[in-house]
Amino acid sequence: MTEREIVQHVPVLRKTGEELLDISSRMHLGLSADEMKIIKSHFEREGREPTDVELQAIAQAWSEHCSYKSSKIHLRKYIFGIGRDKIVSQGDAGLVSLDEDTAIAFKMESHNHPSAIEPYGGAATGVGGILRDILSMGAQPVAVTDALYFGNRRIKGFQSPKFIERGVIAGIRDYGNRVGIPTVSGAIVYADYFSPNVLVNVGCVGVVNKKKIRSSAISEPHVKLIIAGGKTGRDGIHGVNMASAVMEKGGEDITTVQLGNPIVKEPLIHAVLEANDSGLIYALKDLGGGGLSSVVGEMLEAGGMGGKVFLDKVPTKEKNMLPWEIWISESQERMLLAVREEHVKEVLNIMEGWDVTSSVIGESEPGKRLKIFYGNEKVLDIDIEFMTSPPLYERPSAHKERKAEAVLPRYPANFEKLLLRMLRDKNVRTKEYAVRQYDHTVRGSTVVGPFTGIVGREGPSDASIIRPSWDRDTGIAISHGSNPFYSHRNPYLGAMAAIDEAVRNLISVGAEPLGFSDCLNAGNPENPDVMGEFIDMLKGLHDSASHLGIPFPSGNVSFYNEAGKKRIPTFPTILAVGKIDSIQRAITPDFKEVGSSIYLVGIPTTDLGASLYYRLLGLTGGEVPYSDPRTLKRRGWNLLRAAGGNMVSSLHDVSDGGMAVSISEMTVGSNIGADVDVSVLGLRTDFAIFSEPQSSWIAEVKKGKEEEFLKILGDDAVYIGKTQESIFSASRGEERVFSVDLDRIMRNWKRGYS
Amino acid sequence: MRRQAKVAVLTMEGTNNEEEAFLSFKHSGASPEIVHLKQLENGRKKIGSYDILFFPGGFSAGDYVRAGAVMAARIKARLMRDVKDFVENGNPVMGSCNGFQVLVELGLIPNVDGSYGIEAALAPNLSNKFEARTVYVRVNKRNCLFLRSFEEGQIIELPVAHSEGRFVARDDSVLREIIKSGTNVVTYVDNKGKVAEYPWNPNGSAFNIAGICNKEGNVLGMMPHPERAFYRYTVSDWTRRGEGGITGGEFFRNAVAFLREKY
Repeated sequence: MTEREIVQHVPVLRKTGEELLDISSRMHLGLSADEMKIIKSHFEREGREPTDVELQAIAQAWSEHCSYKSSKIHLRKYIFGIGRDKIVSQGDAGLVSLDEDTAIAFKMESHNHPSAIEPYGGAATGVGGILRDILSMGAQPVAVTDALYFGNRRIKGFQSPKFIERGVIAGIRDYGNRVGIPTVSGAIVYADYFSPNVLVNVGCVGVVNKKKIRSSAISEPHVKLIIAGGKTGRDGIHGVNMASAVMEKGGEDITTVQLGNPIVKEPLIHAVLEANDSGLIYALKDLGGGGLSSVVGEMLEAGGMGGKVFLDKVPTKEKNMLPWEIWISESQERMLLAVREEHVKEVLNIMEGWDVTSSVIGESEPGKRLKIFYGNEKVLDIDIEFMTSPPLYERPSAHKERKAEAVLPRYPANFEKLLLRMLRDKNVRTKEYAVRQYDHTVRGSTVVGPFTGIVGREGPSDASIIRPSWDRDTGIAISHGSNPFYSHRNPYLGAMAAIDEAVRNLISVGAEPLGFSDCLNAGNPENPDVMGEFIDMLKGLHDSASHLGIPFPSGNVSFYNEAGKKRIPTFPTILAVGKIDSIQRAITPDFKEVGSSIYLVGIPTTDLGASLYYRLLGLTGGEVPYSDPRTLKRRGWNLLRAAGGNMVSSLHDVSDGGMAVSISEMTVGSNIGADVDVSVLGLRTDFAIFSEPQSSWIAEVKKGKEEEFLKILGDDAVYIGKTQESIFSASRGEERVFSVDLDRIMRNWKRGYS
Repeated sequence: MRRQAKVAVLTMEGTNNEEEAFLSFKHSGASPEIVHLKQLENGRKKIGSYDILFFPGGFSAGDYVRAGAVMAARIKARLMRDVKDFVENGNPVMGSCNGFQVLVELGLIPNVDGSYGIEAALAPNLSNKFEARTVYVRVNKRNCLFLRSFEEGQIIELPVAHSEGRFVARDDSVLREIIKSGTNVVTYVDNKGKVAEYPWNPNGSAFNIAGICNKEGNVLGMMPHPERAFYRYTVSDWTRRGEGGITGGEFFRNAVAFLREKY
């Protein structure tokens, strides 16, 4: 190639707004006319036309995906300030403290757009990306999680929901299993909102010695930049720009989706952790959205440095890649390591020892400018602060008054039929058809996995527990919360319910919640209705989390989940991490003993809006239940005291389908039934057993510990009955409500899986 | 043996349960080391300087060809003499999951005719799916050194996680010889201890074979992962059980105890 061909100057200085917009669209920059004008005046001050590399670099940094330009102002207001004293560190992932010398690194993020275009590759690289985020903090990944949202109906012009589902599950399976980190937790939700806008939210949890935590900031000159791992190719170009726009019907470019290779990632994890353990890494960051362009810019900007990079030193998959392609490629399995000169040789040796490709590509320099070279030619010379500071927006928002229409369902004629129908509902029944394809025991540290109970008839668990060190009894608990059905009706209450659920799940295994990662899913932020819902959602997260004093040290925003004239509800998936001082105190939901006492911790509600019961009946009215953070805190933390005091033998939260479904699930893994009397609860029987009150649990209390338990829980615990053999029966005083054989419960709950 | 038993846990790109294998040996009183295949190939490390060899599971080289084939091919090309000497010297060699597949590809098991040929394969599961679940297996210990502390016919619980685990012999004579000699030392059973079909047999293995030992009793390959159930807290239904009970830790302690007596 001659030098002339590798880089082009793009004339912008004399262009009108319309012409600028045309350039943006021609080069796939995804920038608005106003944003292009800001760039134009910047280069007017520089006195020259920009190069294609420069425009591409700015477009990466200014994309919604990289810059959070529509959400940042609101996140600062509602989220960033909560529980700051409990955050150990923040960067590509967030860190909270597990014990004196260990921190938990965790994050959940979306990989929605790539998964909608290419389900298998999109989901696989979602797992790859979140693993690198954890690695970027110097942490060893110990668990992968995923929350998946699939549509029910096929929309013309888009792939069928079944095809998407199969591809996504296979992608997670093949990547997660190969890379050797257990996939232990997650959720699968089916709803019409997700046709065709499938959502793939992937999370990862890791551990790091507090002394070994790394940041991504480079704050001294002459630190060398080493790219390590996969080679750079043409896959995944303009991924962030695609993820920052509304999908057109069938018109997406599949080359925007990266290709994953877990067999490169696995040694990369070992090699990077070995170099970090040896104290050789100054700073590091993973190459994700925006590729080298985003990473180099952010690392230098964070430490107030300038720097230079030589693109011809970047190992590439194919010849003849143009400088701008190398600079913004989102090829997978790559990390950028910042290493002091005296350690470079040793780091390269470690990489070599693991057969990991690595190359020194540049260094930090005093000053504020980033310079990029290809051979002898300078292809970019830009002020870093300008490049990394896009305009932030406070977009117009509309807040709807949400009035729920009052409804009263007819009193059910047959409770048994209803219960069994709920148990085999797609959103309740076992997800073993997917989750048993994920390796959940690799690393040999899984204390509580996704299913628990008697081998061969396991039931669901609420949260997973990982023992990060075989030398200690401390455990990390991992759970999720989300409720797109509630959020669709009321984004504020839906967000609170998501926090409530994530917390409930941690409490259920006996773990104290420590931190949340908020993975926020929404439509087009330029639509005032979406922006209004987005703000309502943040208020909900704020009101719950700030009362609990639990921070969000990491999170992610995914806008533009709109296609086929349909948009998703505005809702969060919460990834929560907690701590259990001794794994020996871990609790699972399967009943343990016949004849022990069962308590409802909580009170059923008359707000059944968007509940599973109303959804099955086709009722669209009713208020969505309210999660009162004060109640959640009181009941939840009291239950932790009871659990720590060895009084509780099984514990399960009340969720979809209310306490009838919860108790049924407790019978699955145990083959132990229950006999409950709902008369003490006062409400109409269907409301009592099918409502989904927030901050509620079913507890089986050890024989002889009942008084002690009640002393802690007080009026929050209501005695409802006892465990018994082979049957789950419910009555209201003398009147029989239902009586179901445990095998029928199991068969219905396990439907679709054999 | 006065010194601690030295264990080489072999690794290459794609193997992935070396960490828990390493810890299992460490917590059994041995001195394990994770050794990259490269270090053996370039002569920086020698198989002969270790007492126990462990082949971990995972997806060596991605398993994009036949499972375990690439790792086995690399060993055969450069290291087979060392491996044979190690085995014939009576040292313990174990492989789980992908490691089992590598041992079969190397011809170390079942090795019924003693010539280290490939006599079997681990084919895709009959369910055509990756299967991550807990299985019951029956232990028929024969002379297998990894099984010495078990009671004959004891049933234990172990995790499996694989998509290619169906044991298939090259021909009927190999299978007959295995059954006759009783080297099928680990067998999938149901919750009552009986040989049963899927899902109790997670992959459709012939004769429910979960693990095979060589006739000499020092090479064991199996699909289940004892290293992932080392402590009682990683046995999947532990919250329903009392203290005590057998765990996967037994396999590792047995190998270490064997060496302690031998030397």
